[in-house]
Amino acid sequence: MSSVKAPFLHSGTRTSSMATWALSALLIPGAIYSMLYPSPFIFQLIGYALLGGLAEGLYHLIVRRKLKFNPMGSALTAALIAASVPPSMPFLPMLYAILIAIWIVKLPMVGLSLRFNAAMVGRLFLMQVYPGSIVAWGTPTPDVISTATPQELYRSEGFALELPQLLFDRIEGVWEELFLLVPGSPGETFPVLLLLLGGLLCYRGIIAWRAPVAFLLSFAIASAAFGDSVLFNLFSSATIFSAAFIVSDPVSTPMSKGGKIGVGILIGVSNAVIRHTTYYTEAIVYAVLLGNLFSPLLDRTAFMLRGRRLNQRLSQPHWAG
Amino acid sequence: MLRRIKIDWADLPNFHPLETPFPAPERIYPGLEEITPESFPDFLNEIGLVGMGGSGFPASEKLRAGIGAHTLVINGVECEPGITIDQTVLLHHALWVQAGANASAKAIGAKRVILAVKDHPAQMVPLQKLYPDYDIVPFPDRYPTGAEKLILKKLTGNMPAPGIRPYQLGYIVQNVVSLRAIGRAMIDGFPVVERPLTLAAPASRFYKNTIVPIGLSVREILAAFDLLYDPARQLIVGGGLMMGCEMALDDLIEKTTTSLLLLDRAPLKKKERNCIRCGACNTACPLDLHPYSLVERIQKGKTHSTAFQAQMTECFLCGVCSAVCPSDIPLVQTLTEGKKCLP
Repeated sequence: MSSVKAPFLHSGTRTSSMATWALSALLIPGAIYSMLYPSPFIFQLIGYALLGGLAEGLYHLIVRRKLKFNPMGSALTAALIAASVPPSMPFLPMLYAILIAIWIVKLPMVGLSLRFNAAMVGRLFLMQVYPGSIVAWGTPTPDVISTATPQELYRSEGFALELPQLLFDRIEGVWEELFLLVPGSPGETFPVLLLLLGGLLCYRGIIAWRAPVAFLLSFAIASAAFGDSVLFNLFSSATIFSAAFIVSDPVSTPMSKGGKIGVGILIGVSNAVIRHTTYYTEAIVYAVLLGNLFSPLLDRTAFMLRGRRLNQRLSQPHWAG
Repeated sequence: MLRRIKIDWADLPNFHPLETPFPAPERIYPGLEEITPESFPDFLNEIGLVGMGGSGFPASEKLRAGIGAHTLVINGVECEPGITIDQTVLLHHALWVQAGANASAKAIGAKRVILAVKDHPAQMVPLQKLYPDYDIVPFPDRYPTGAEKLILKKLTGNMPAPGIRPYQLGYIVQNVVSLRAIGRAMIDGFPVVERPLTLAAPASRFYKNTIVPIGLSVREILAAFDLLYDPARQLIVGGGLMMGCEMALDDLIEKTTTSLLLLDRAPLKKKERNCIRCGACNTACPLDLHPYSLVERIQKGKTHSTAFQAQMTECFLCGVCSAVCPSDIPLVQTLTEGKKCLP
């Protein structure tokens, strides 16, 4: 009979269900994308998620020699990679990216204090090794513009994009007719829906609100400071998607409240800086990995500062009878 | 002319002894007028009072240190979830509680008595009727608001520094049940021989607040209430869900046993998993500490930094971090060990 110790009460979510919740939240924009732009994307998403689970199973079988595992975390990672690249991405690069993310970044680093966001590493691999595929946007025509998000087009051609269309609807009209465009990464197509889903995940206690909110606020302020359009920057190029699914990742961001806010600001500002000063509109990958790199330091600093504040309070005068 | 009636069983020279259903007072304790700051701690020692909120700290020491404090706080904020004994004592034993509070306030010279209760609208009206002389301060119904530190935080506006006792801030915080015991001794002449406690078996929807003699075994109490207990399936928790411990059938009720709970064993068996660094413990900690960072440092033996020692001193092992951990890591057990690392 195993002894049970206090506390005899547990509340909140368990780790086993967290990834399931995030994955089901991710399936919703995927399904809507498949319906609006007739494409088999939702089946791709589910297939890649299964592949991720399978990869984790193989890892456990070969490295840890046991069959008991929870595949949801890896399935979520694979689905995040699939949702953040164009659906036209070939299978083989995706397979490589998923295996790199799960076998090299995600599973062997369990328990370390420095963790990287596996989905972003997978996407970084795709960006570096298959730059042609990651920006393939729709069908190539003589007038092809090849970009993952409307950001690039906005920057290079000076196209005005109507905001309501960007937020809620499929992008139609002159864009589609001219360039046969469909927006690149299915995960980022519905910012308002993603915002709602992020709020739901916060409410359910799956993700913590501090890092995403700090990220969005600091990114908006930094964009405004650089003179870029704040709303356009917020609602395009996967900003909301990253806030809901990438920056909020519990594993690779700091644990402390102050650290979460710090990493949000770091990612937001560096994202705005990279977008403004370089030609990478997809700065979020680098910004998130930079934030991950700083997470242990931020945690340690928050710990030290808390201790210092407690010591200061100790030396304060108190009521003396 | 009156005629004498002969009653055949009334043997007047050898009259039947008077049998009192209740025992006579063991001794007469001082009344409210005779209480002085010098004699009151000795009186508390004589009745054998310890902190009955669960701490077990000798009440006489606390009172003696607190002479001169300006405020007496009656702590009726139930710390642990699922225990209702403090509220019940407040509502049903108001006479004893008031006698104890008035005596304590007189002894320490307090000008003000604050009654700290949980914020239940339904019980506010009767409490205001029962305790018209005291300031009633409602506290949110959320564990662990009943801790001394957090009560003082609300009353004084900022968190007391680690290691500072309430009397150093001019406050004395006494549990309701302790004050009830003082009043019981003063009015009825009983020392601390009984313990009000919550008896609950949530699985069978049995909830009761009862007064049991100290020193009774758990087995006798369960038998008195006809509660069935299956050691393989259930466990008995003494002293609350968050900070209590498992009790065996032959363990005795002590002065600090605030509750007896019969819980199902199966849902409590949790397997510890890897930390996913979600920071739920940081967010939940009522003192804004970093529980998992503390645990990591304890496990690695890095316990000499000032930041660690300040935070470890501040922690009062409420167990919220363990309760919210999504990976079911027993954080509070490691923190208990970490307390030993303090100088």
